[in-house]
Amino acid sequence: MNERRKFGEVLTGLTGLTLTLLLSFCLVIGLIFILSRTPLRTIYFFFVGAFTNRYYLGNMLNVAVPLVFTGLGISIAFKASVFNLGGEGQIYAGGLAATAVCLAMPAANGFLGGLSALAGAAVLSGAIAGVSGFFRMKWNTDEMISSFLLSSAVVLAANYFITGPLGDPKNNLLATLAVGPQYGLARIFPPSKLNISAFFAMAAALMVFFFMYKSRAGYEMRMCGLNREFSRYGGINVSKYLVLPMIMSGALHGLGGGLMVLGTYGATIEGYSFGMGWNGIAVALIAKNNPLGLIPAAFLFAYLDAGAKAAMLNSDVTFEIAAIAQSFIFYFVTAQALYGFARKRRRA
Amino acid sequence: MPYLEMKGITKLYPNHLRANDGIDFSLEKNEIHAIVGENGAGKTTLMKILYGLEQLDAGSIMLSGKNVTIHGPLDANRLGIGMVHQHFKLIPEFSVAENVVLGIEPRKNVLFMDRNAAVQRISEVIASHGFNIDPRARVLTLTVGQMQQVEIVKMLYRNVDLLILDEPTSVLTEQEIHKLFETLRSLQKDGKTCIIITHKLQEVMEISDRVTVMRKGKVIAVRRTAEVDKAELARLMVGRSVLFQIERAKNACGSAVLELVNVTLKQRGRDRALLDAVNLTVRSCEIVGVAGVSGNGLGELEDVVAGLRRITSGRILHNGEDIAGLAPATLRERGLAYVPADRLRRGASLQSTVTENMIVTSHHRFLRAGFLKGGKIKQFAERLTKSFSIDGGPRVPVGTLSGGNIQKVILARELATASNLVIVAEPTWGLDVASSQFVYEKILEMRKAGAGILFISSNLDELLGIADAIAVMYRGRVVAFLSNVKGLSKERIGEYMLGLRDDFAPPRTQKKDEPA
Amino acid sequence: MTNSPFSIPLVHNAIDIMTPFLLAGIGGLFTELAGMLNIALEGLILTGAFFSIVFAAATGNLFLGILLGLLCAMALAYMFGAITLYMRANVFITGLATNLFASGFTIVLAYHLFKTKGVIQFPGIPKLPALVVPPLLQRIPVVGDILFGHNVIIYVTWAIVLLSALVIYRTPFGLRLRGTGLNAKTIVSLGLNPRRYQLAGILISGLTCGLAGAMLSVELAAFVPEISSGRGWIALVAIYLGNKTPWGIFVASFVFGMAESISNYAQGSIRVPVEFILALPYVFTVVAMILYSIFRYVRSSRG
Repeated sequence: MNERRKFGEVLTGLTGLTLTLLLSFCLVIGLIFILSRTPLRTIYFFFVGAFTNRYYLGNMLNVAVPLVFTGLGISIAFKASVFNLGGEGQIYAGGLAATAVCLAMPAANGFLGGLSALAGAAVLSGAIAGVSGFFRMKWNTDEMISSFLLSSAVVLAANYFITGPLGDPKNNLLATLAVGPQYGLARIFPPSKLNISAFFAMAAALMVFFFMYKSRAGYEMRMCGLNREFSRYGGINVSKYLVLPMIMSGALHGLGGGLMVLGTYGATIEGYSFGMGWNGIAVALIAKNNPLGLIPAAFLFAYLDAGAKAAMLNSDVTFEIAAIAQSFIFYFVTAQALYGFARKRRRA
Repeated sequence: MPYLEMKGITKLYPNHLRANDGIDFSLEKNEIHAIVGENGAGKTTLMKILYGLEQLDAGSIMLSGKNVTIHGPLDANRLGIGMVHQHFKLIPEFSVAENVVLGIEPRKNVLFMDRNAAVQRISEVIASHGFNIDPRARVLTLTVGQMQQVEIVKMLYRNVDLLILDEPTSVLTEQEIHKLFETLRSLQKDGKTCIIITHKLQEVMEISDRVTVMRKGKVIAVRRTAEVDKAELARLMVGRSVLFQIERAKNACGSAVLELVNVTLKQRGRDRALLDAVNLTVRSCEIVGVAGVSGNGLGELEDVVAGLRRITSGRILHNGEDIAGLAPATLRERGLAYVPADRLRRGASLQSTVTENMIVTSHHRFLRAGFLKGGKIKQFAERLTKSFSIDGGPRVPVGTLSGGNIQKVILARELATASNLVIVAEPTWGLDVASSQFVYEKILEMRKAGAGILFISSNLDELLGIADAIAVMYRGRVVAFLSNVKGLSKERIGEYMLGLRDDFAPPRTQKKDEPA
Repeated sequence: MTNSPFSIPLVHNAIDIMTPFLLAGIGGLFTELAGMLNIALEGLILTGAFFSIVFAAATGNLFLGILLGLLCAMALAYMFGAITLYMRANVFITGLATNLFASGFTIVLAYHLFKTKGVIQFPGIPKLPALVVPPLLQRIPVVGDILFGHNVIIYVTWAIVLLSALVIYRTPFGLRLRGTGLNAKTIVSLGLNPRRYQLAGILISGLTCGLAGAMLSVELAAFVPEISSGRGWIALVAIYLGNKTPWGIFVASFVFGMAESISNYAQGSIRVPVEFILALPYVFTVVAMILYSIFRYVRSSRG
């Protein structure tokens, strides 16, 4: 009996999601008809274009990679009912930290150096998010707002380093110096930029899944997220799970940024990760905070991105149509997902 | 013709609870009418229906002979009905005047409020009832008694003829209660009619003209106050049901498992201590019941013994050692089991599965290198599910279970590990007979195994049936400790519960008939 | 700016710079007071900026253009409010959606109409009229330079701030608005509908943010993509720092205006990197938040 009930729940969830997507897509199609002189061509490239050659396809998958990481970061926090809204700064700073580590060791071994760079990214961003978590635990300072504010400050500070001390004078100072070539992650689908970070993303999703549902800390964290009073009554250390999820969330964001730098760009370019943090939230919501569901959800956003690029290159609309499509999804996805989010927000 | 007639009022809540079950209620003009009953009797629901804050599922309301429908407070106000809520609906940051006129603000012109007119009109109302409130003062600066007066003024400002007061004296001091009663009498003189919801019999006798007794969603009796006394009201309120004796051998293995020594709990902003020098002892193989009306310290007792709230002073001893201030996890390590009164929020995580609920206190015993041993946990949950006959199996979300089954999950969890001290609070509230029996059996098993059990309940039948000794709490104090349960009557316990008797009264003389 | 020897260009510029913060902040204040978090200010400013100048160029009439721009911003605000309140979506996410939508939509439309995604110049737009005052007043030391010589929108803003204060504190609407934010249950118990006031707050924020955007683009006689560039967020911080009062927001906006004015002046001459100066308001707010929660914690745990 309970199997059928669970199936029914999944079905309603999927139906809600499908409706959201259908509605959003219809609106986008309508917009294309208004704006484009060749609407059918545009629609074709928007919805199908990403699959037409290796370059588009590979790049689309590559864009999904950091989304998986930010989505994971947000999911972990959401599951614990703490709210990390500093994703933008955390991913941005993560990439910068990885760059700095690599620049500091221009001739080290690629593998070890790369690992240290990623570790540095995770540590820095984990700490940034952890600050908000700490103050939430100690004095009940709203971590949602504090993480957002800190993130905004971090972005500005990072820009300083990118265009200043670490900047590449040959590049108009809009990026840091390039990291050593030995740190670049191997490409797996030329001519696109898709690299082995895609495997890292899948591994990360699996690891987070196991952590959340099979480990002791994951269990305790989820219980705290659902009902803190119950968890406290049962003997769980509720304070710990106000800080730990934030740290983990930040670390995941940082890793995503580090992988973007090492895998795709080879340097920290100003604004390279902008939007990844916010999209991570949408991705997590669509996936209902399930780590395995994040992969298709990230794929969906990357698909919109790639579709817009293809439409732009082959037709007469501009890339920002993707942003509009994404905004529609944002608008509607919580009208369905509201139930989960609002209840959590009411201080579980 | 009665002023107000409510006929056949029925209200069902989603969990099939009949809050009001075919209630007939009638009110004479210009009387002060009390509605009494224990918690959960349905008094507040009935009045909320009258005021439009709840909608009736069946029945009709007639005011002065005319059929009326009340969709919300605005309708009620228009019909001349006002309500003073138990939990004040005030905005503390606003002034008295702002709170009173909110929604019907007088205007100076199209855009602006006429504050002076408001203040003036309110001052008139205040003065005519001898209140002492500055309309411009912010509500958060007022005393609790004054806040209630603001609620009353709010209604009088709207020219109500019928005023409902929901448990108005629960937060007031003696003098404030006095003042309130004066106000009610003066309102009566002005031609107004009042309904007062209360469970305090002393007040009923003092202020009301007639009284309606409710129990479990039904009206039990309607009397003229002059024609009854407190004892009869108490009898009507708690009901006369068959006392069932559970088969048990009387024994108390001896050592004190739990001792509360002068435990006091104070809260900032409240004059009266929530727990006032409580002394209580529970021995192994013993069930000590704690009776009382909710709001008199039962909930706080539960919280402090279970380690969820810090006491202000005193000691709590577990097997001789002071455990006050220890974390819940530590208490559980020491062998404490706790079945809370708040089943749905504290006792369970409704969105989690039965299994996840069952292991919250014991999951650290199922570890391998930081990871949970899924197989072992599954076995554990299945074993418990079977032995406690929990419908639905270990994988369903607890929120989908019936009340009885949720309680079984909690019991299964708490009683799964051997405990020497068990705290249960309102364990059979809302449960049917079969589930209740099950709960009693389990508790008796614990007793046989040597545990000491603190059984907090407002259900006197079950206390009389199961407890070896009964302590009664009133206003945060233990006012009785009755070891001879066999000869005890519910009326006698009722008297202690309602403050009419006190075995441990402090040296200051406390007259038996002092207002409760 | 006058050439009087007593002029203080820093302050004069600060007043110009602070106006968008102030406008957005005052509008946002109405939503905040109604108990709703409004992070869509960015998107609303951007919408106002784009449509004001486009309609002004299209109609040839500056004020008509600004008016239409305001209406567009209010339309977006209505979409934001309606979806949030009536479809019961999460207000933070819909706020983000609004910003995202405005950002994308303005660029898409700009590309569609003007074939460019960059800066769009509108050389034909008349300049914003400045308030004409007798030169004598402008010569008043210090005060004269501060108060006079600004464009007309700035004075309109001051009027809006004053009017807002009156509405919030002296009208029934304002009372009920504040009541909704403080204790929605009480509002409901009086038979009022809190959502009406929340929606009103959102629409008002659309109005003021639209005006803020209009000022930005009309002053430049151009539309610059992402011209709102963070002003909406700073307005939010100003609301918070200003303790949710019109006067507080005025002061906070002034502080931010001064900070930016100083940093404009100091770029190149002071050694602190401009990014750190820009980051100051955020850091400052976080510190204020933390101190406030410590204060609240200590106070509630005493007894």
